[in-house]
Amino acid sequence: MAHTLSGLLICRECDAVHRRVPLSGREVAHCVCCGSTLARSSALQVVDLLALTIAAAIAFSIAAAMPVLSIEVGGARTEANAWTAALSIRHGWAGVAAVVLVATTFVVPLLQIVLLLWLLAFARLGRRAPASTRALVVLHHLRPWSMTEVFLLGALVAIVKLSAWVHVIPGPGLAALTALTVLMLILSNTDPQLWWDLHCTPR
Amino acid sequence: MREPRSLESSRCPRCDQVLVRRPARSAERSLAWLIAGLICYVPANVLPVVHTSGVGGGQDSTILSGIISFWRAGALDIAALIFLASVAVPSGKFLVLGLLLRDRERGSPMERLTRARLYRVVELIGYWSMLDVVVVALTSALLQFKVLGTAEPRLGIVFFCAVVVATMLAAQSFDPRLVWDEERS
Repeated sequence: MAHTLSGLLICRECDAVHRRVPLSGREVAHCVCCGSTLARSSALQVVDLLALTIAAAIAFSIAAAMPVLSIEVGGARTEANAWTAALSIRHGWAGVAAVVLVATTFVVPLLQIVLLLWLLAFARLGRRAPASTRALVVLHHLRPWSMTEVFLLGALVAIVKLSAWVHVIPGPGLAALTALTVLMLILSNTDPQLWWDLHCTPR
Repeated sequence: MREPRSLESSRCPRCDQVLVRRPARSAERSLAWLIAGLICYVPANVLPVVHTSGVGGGQDSTILSGIISFWRAGALDIAALIFLASVAVPSGKFLVLGLLLRDRERGSPMERLTRARLYRVVELIGYWSMLDVVVVALTSALLQFKVLGTAEPRLGIVFFCAVVVATMLAAQSFDPRLVWDEERS
């Protein structure tokens, strides 16, 4: 989005400098030059963000532990979720794709949740978390590689595709995955400035 | 306001990252990733992505043959979705990023604005091409019945994965400020 320095906002995409104006409600500030998003206002406080992150952690645990979908044929059943799906294709050449899949739909969201919990738990206590700058930088780099929503849509496509031949049973992981996707979207869409403002103390 | 002591060694006071005027050789790196993606795009479409076997025998499916079989089976919405994610989006990314790289010091402000918007679209929807990888992985994980049939991933899906990653890196390494540069005369 934008970079701030004592009341100025610089557009990330075209370097145009703007004066920072307080936003209210659900206002979004756009660059006058190129239209990119500079800043978003958010009614979310640390308490709200923490609650959302804890909910995301729970949803993630369910989606990881329980199957997202399973199919049953004459008494025999197979199940799958992100982890097991990647494991099953790890043999041979497809192992590379398995690593990418597990990374984007499992490892990255997990890291995001853990880092957010770390930052927010300390913030809730009114303190700045240790290594918060490094955590925020890592979160910044992780953001584009978080793909839980792709996994969700892929699961739905797989359900439709397979239900033509077999009895498909959506598992508890599917609802958890949906919740996780929504929560991650809300958390990712918060203005990064919010996070830096929480933890910034000029040296 | 802070004055950097020297441009080589200064770090941001807030996030401690090294300050750079511009990311080094952004256009070159972006083009390199784009070409890598293009090279992988050929085997991704030519080689089969999944091998399904059932009572009648086995067959390899490529991305395109998968789309066609969905279409023939009447699941037009799925066929359209896979076509969008696996054909339209990657091709669109190649075209848009290629355009951005080729025209980066030319054009009227209106054209540049369009390009800036295209860049934002690419960044927003680029990762959805992973959809096909997810579907192949899930289908292979689930169809493990000797009776009904099995599904196994094939090499094509790895190349396709490489295309998605390469184009994402191409978009990331492209500095959007290049769109607004003036031609050096």
